[in-house]
Amino acid sequence: MDSMKNILKNWKFYLVVFVIVCISEKIGLVSIPLGPGNLMFLPLLYAMAISLILYLIKAFPLVGPAQEKMAGKFIVIGISVFIAKVGVQSGAAIESVIKAGPALLLQELGNLGTIFIALPIALLLGFGREAVGMTHSIAREPNVGLIASKYGLDSPEGRGVMIIYIVGTLIGTIFMGLMSSILASFTPLHPFSIAMATGVGSGSMMAAASAPLITMFPDMETEITAYAGMSNLLSTADGIYMTIFLGLPLCNFLYKKLSPIIGQDRKKKA
Amino acid sequence: MEKKLTLDTFLEYTLIILIISAIAFVGNWIYSDVGLMESLPGILILLCVAFVGLTLEKIIPVNIPAIVYISIIGLLVAMPYSPVGAAVAEYTGKVQMLPLATPVLAFAGVSMGKDWAAFRKIGWRGILVAACVMVGTFVGSAIVAQFILMGQGLI
Repeated sequence: MDSMKNILKNWKFYLVVFVIVCISEKIGLVSIPLGPGNLMFLPLLYAMAISLILYLIKAFPLVGPAQEKMAGKFIVIGISVFIAKVGVQSGAAIESVIKAGPALLLQELGNLGTIFIALPIALLLGFGREAVGMTHSIAREPNVGLIASKYGLDSPEGRGVMIIYIVGTLIGTIFMGLMSSILASFTPLHPFSIAMATGVGSGSMMAAASAPLITMFPDMETEITAYAGMSNLLSTADGIYMTIFLGLPLCNFLYKKLSPIIGQDRKKKA
Repeated sequence: MEKKLTLDTFLEYTLIILIISAIAFVGNWIYSDVGLMESLPGILILLCVAFVGLTLEKIIPVNIPAIVYISIIGLLVAMPYSPVGAAVAEYTGKVQMLPLATPVLAFAGVSMGKDWAAFRKIGWRGILVAACVMVGTFVGSAIVAQFILMGQGLI
């Protein structure tokens, strides 16, 4: 009964969250025209910003370190209802999902794109083995766990993955949302392709990234939600295996090849 | 690997689901034009799907995350071939997707607070690489998807 009592104890905290949610939903979607497209701001972003600010200003006793653990539980379990909705929408659109099956499965490989783009840049910026921890994947919890067990979190690789994890935690949601708006507005990429790309294994990133698409292309809402949801499911399910068998080996291989040329090891050669 | 579901744990996640659903229920009402009573069946269906998925995760001895169960159950009940498909689709259609995420992100803001100090210590180089990581995975997937969908003639 302890856990349940613990939850009930924090009712004032939930009330605060309730008020934050109401305010955020009342503000609603804010769309800022930017050239040929739009930059979208969503209630979920306001909610995140408000609670973060309340935490940081410390003047608000109801939102602070004491609530961290509760917040953690609510995030992990709370996302379930959102995922249920995504699952149901995908089910209703199952025919589209099956037709787009090949694209959905193969775009998972696109997640390896991070290695080719980010590793060279990390090396050029002066990172050593950290670069492997940083760029082998998108660094959500499963990957942090993998790096921790393989190299330890106090290793350079471990430090690298933690950097990306923390930055991703703090700006990932907003960043993904902005990227989505920008790609949809300024590139010839089709909304379906972008929708599939939003599934990286994090429900909140997927929500933030697919929302602008749905707002910009309301008649494609069914497919966009279904593709984004399925892609996210696939990334969650196969993400860790992709990293173990493809991502990490590939990243290490590329590191060995590039480090003598553009990385820290070029000093050793000289 | 045997899993034991204690009453305590069961009550805990049940309560959490109810609280989040209640907040999202009102949030959805504010965000969309749909009335409170009209969206009630929808939110109940979703919360049941979530609940069953979470329970399965705790009971089944294999290490599969809840979101997999929840997604599959959601798929199965809402498919056109399912006997309840049309009804599920209609009722849950009254509940928008985004308002379901808002409460979760409100909690996430608190969680982010604890990482704030660590975030401040990360220099611009770390942030730049993180940005490249996100761009790389996003754009990489989008391009692959684009080519395949075009090849299939779907877009």
